[in-house]
Amino acid sequence: MAELKLIDIKKSYGAATIIHGVDLAIEDGEFVVFVGPSGCGKSTLLRIIAGLEQVSGGEIRIDGQSVTNVPASDRGLAMVFQSYALYPHMSVYKNMAFALENMSLSRSEIDQRVRRAAQMLQLTDYLDRKPKALSGGQRQRVAIGRAIVRDPKIFLFDEPLSNLDAELRVATRKELAALHAEIGGTMIYVTHDQVEAMTLADRIVVLRAGRIEQVGTPLEVYNHPANLFVAGFIGSPRMNLLPARVAASGQVTIGNDTRTIPLPSTGQTASGASITLGARPEHIDVVDETQADLFITVNLVEQLGGETYLYGSAPGLPELTVRQDGQVRYDRNQKVGLRLKREALHLFDAGGQAIRIR
Amino acid sequence: MTLTSKTSPVASPAPVGGLAQSRGTNPVLKLVSRIIDWPMAGLQRLIGERRMPYIFLLPNLVFFGLFVFVPIAINFVYSVTGGPALFPSERPYVGADQYAYLFECGSYVDPNSCREDHFWRGVYNTLFFSLFQVLAMVGLSLLTAVVLNMKIRGRGFFRAVYFFPVLLSPVVVALIWKWILQRDGLLNAAITGFGGDRILFLAEPGWAMFWAIFVSVWAHMGFYTLILLAGLQAIPADIYEAAEMDATPRWRVFWRLTLPLLWPNLIVVIVLSLIRAVQTFDEVFVLTGGGPGTSTLMVVQYIYETAFSNQVQNFGLAAAASVVLGIVLFALTLAQLAFTQRKSS
Ligand SMILES: Nc1ncnc2c1ncn2[C@@H]1O[C@H](COP(=O)(O)OP(=O)(O)OP(=O)(O)O)[C@@H](O)[C@H]1O
Ligand SMILES: [Mg+2]
Repeated sequence: MAELKLIDIKKSYGAATIIHGVDLAIEDGEFVVFVGPSGCGKSTLLRIIAGLEQVSGGEIRIDGQSVTNVPASDRGLAMVFQSYALYPHMSVYKNMAFALENMSLSRSEIDQRVRRAAQMLQLTDYLDRKPKALSGGQRQRVAIGRAIVRDPKIFLFDEPLSNLDAELRVATRKELAALHAEIGGTMIYVTHDQVEAMTLADRIVVLRAGRIEQVGTPLEVYNHPANLFVAGFIGSPRMNLLPARVAASGQVTIGNDTRTIPLPSTGQTASGASITLGARPEHIDVVDETQADLFITVNLVEQLGGETYLYGSAPGLPELTVRQDGQVRYDRNQKVGLRLKREALHLFDAGGQAIRIR
Repeated sequence: MTLTSKTSPVASPAPVGGLAQSRGTNPVLKLVSRIIDWPMAGLQRLIGERRMPYIFLLPNLVFFGLFVFVPIAINFVYSVTGGPALFPSERPYVGADQYAYLFECGSYVDPNSCREDHFWRGVYNTLFFSLFQVLAMVGLSLLTAVVLNMKIRGRGFFRAVYFFPVLLSPVVVALIWKWILQRDGLLNAAITGFGGDRILFLAEPGWAMFWAIFVSVWAHMGFYTLILLAGLQAIPADIYEAAEMDATPRWRVFWRLTLPLLWPNLIVVIVLSLIRAVQTFDEVFVLTGGGPGTSTLMVVQYIYETAFSNQVQNFGLAAAASVVLGIVLFALTLAQLAFTQRKSS
C-alpha cells in the first residue's frame, strides 16, 4: 500500500509528444480509474508509473520517494496486462509463485500465499493447469493472482477485462470491486469502458490526448463535468449538447428558437453570448404541447424493456436522445414535445468550459 | 472455365477451373492457368478428384526416386557383393562379408586392433568432431542469437554478417581458412610479425582437429543463429515485461523463460546440426585432407577414399560403410521428427 504522486509527467516518442505534463496525486488505498478515448495515452501513463517506459520529463514519487529513475523491477508494483502475459510453460501455481521465488521467500511461505490467493480467486482446482488449458476469465484471474500474491505497493491494471465477454466482464468487475474492498491496496486501473470506470472508481481521471481533463469521484464527474469533452465522454448514451444563447441573465434559448428556458443562473455570461446547453437523456421529459421547450420528429425508438430510448431531430439541432422509464410506444415521424429538467442542465461557454449554475 | 464460385472454393468439390479464377490478378499466371486448365480438368474427370494430388506429386517423386531411392537400393546391392568389378551384374554375392570385415575388431575402443582401422578412426574422429562441433555450434549460435535479438546498434548489419558464411560454398570457406592457417598463411605471418614462433595449425593433430571444428562452426553457424533468432522473436515481449514487474533477475529470465520457450527451436538446432556434423566431409577434406595422418579423417572421407581414390577401389566395403552411416542418420532423423512432432501437437 502506498501513495503515488505524478509531477508534470511528459512523454515523447521522437517528435511526437504523447503525454503533455500530467500532475496527479493518488492516495493510499485509493482505487483510481484512468478513462479516455483510444490513443489518449492511458496505457503509456500506466507503463510510465510501472517503470516500463521512461519519462521525457517530470517526476514520479511513491510514498514521497522519487522513483523516476528506478527500474520497474525495483519499484515494488504489480501489473495486470491486457494480454495477461502469463508464462505459457508454467502451471497456474508456478505463474503465481514465480515472483515470490524471486523474492527468495521460504517454500512454505510461497505455498501459503499462492493457496490463499487461489482460494480468493477460485483457482484452487486449476493450480496444476497450464494457461493454455484455461478459459479467458480464468486466465484473467491468474493474472490478478500473480499480482496479489506479491502484496505490491500499488496494483496497475491495463484494461484487464477487455478480452472477456459481456457477462464475464460484469462478473469479474464485481469481483474486482470486492477484492479491493477485501485487500484494500492502492489500485490504478485503465479502461475506456465508462461503466467500469463509474462502478469501480473512488476517483476517475479523464484523459484526452495526453492531458487530464478532469479528476473527481464518479458522481462529481457525472454531475459536474468540467468541460464539453468530459460531458460528452462520461455517460451513456451521451449527453445531448445543444447550441444555445443567453437571452438574459438566468434565461437561455435553444437553437434559433425564441422560447426561453429559465435557469437558476447563467453565471457571468453576457447576454447574447453563444453557449452550449447540455441535457442528459434521462433529464428530458416527453410532455404535451403547452409545456414543451422544443419539439422533435421521432427517427428511431429503442425498446430495452426496462427503459425506452427515443431518437429524434429538430431543425438546426443535432439528433437528440431521450430516455424514458419503462416501455413507451412512439411511432416513427411522430412529433413529440420535450421539456428539459431545469435543475439538471449544464451550460458550457464558447471555450467549452462548464459554467457553474448550481 | 467459370465453374467455381469465388466464395466457396472449399465447401463444394472444386473443379480445376478454380485455379484460373483465384490467380485472377496476375496476367502471366492467368495465362498459364488458362493453358493448363483444360488438360487438367480432363485428367481429373478421367481419374477422379481423389487421385489428383498424386498426379501433382508425381514429377517430384520421379526425380526423387531416380536420384535418391534407386541409388540407395544400388548402394545396398554393392554392399552385399564383392570384387573390383563396377557393374553390379558382374559382382559376386558375398552376403554380409563386407559388414563382417568392417566390424572385425580386437576391441572396438582401439581402432588399431581392427582389420579396417581407417574406418574406425573415421568413426571416432567423427564422434569427437560431432560432439564438440555441436556443443560449440549450439552454444555460439544461441549466444549470437540472444545478442542479435537485443536492441543494439547496427543490428541488421550484424544479422547479415553472421548469415553471410552460410551463402558460401563450404569448399570456398575451407580454402579461405586454409589460406589463413597454413604454414605460411596469414595467421602465422601475423604471429611472426609480432615476434612469435610459427605454429603448424594444420599439421599438428590437436590443432588440426580444433580448426576443423572451428571452420565448420564458422561456416554453418549463421543458419542455426537464424533459427534461434526466429524462435526468440516469437516469444511475446509482454512476458518479459511481466518478468520485469516480477523483479526477475536477468539470469533467471534466461533460464526460466527464454530457454524453456526457445526449447523447440533449440531441439531442432541440436538435431539438425548433429545430423550435419556426422556427414561432414567437404570443408574438413579441403582444409586438412584428413591429416595430419588420419587425425581429422571423417567417416564420409573414408567412404569416399575407399570407393574412389585408393589404388584398389573397394566399392563393396565403401557401400557397407555407407549403409552403416545411413542407419545412424536415419535414427537421428527419426529423433528429430519425434521432437518436432511433439512440439507441434
Ligand atoms: N512506441 C511508441 N512509439 C510511438 N508512438 C507510440 C508508441 N507507443 C504508443 N504510441 C502512441 O502514443 C499514443 C498513446 O498510446 P497508448 O497506448 O497510451 O493509448 P491508450 O490510451 O492506451 O489507447 P487504447 O485505449 O487504444 O489502449 C498513441 O497515439 C500511440 O500511437
Ligand atoms: Mg491501452
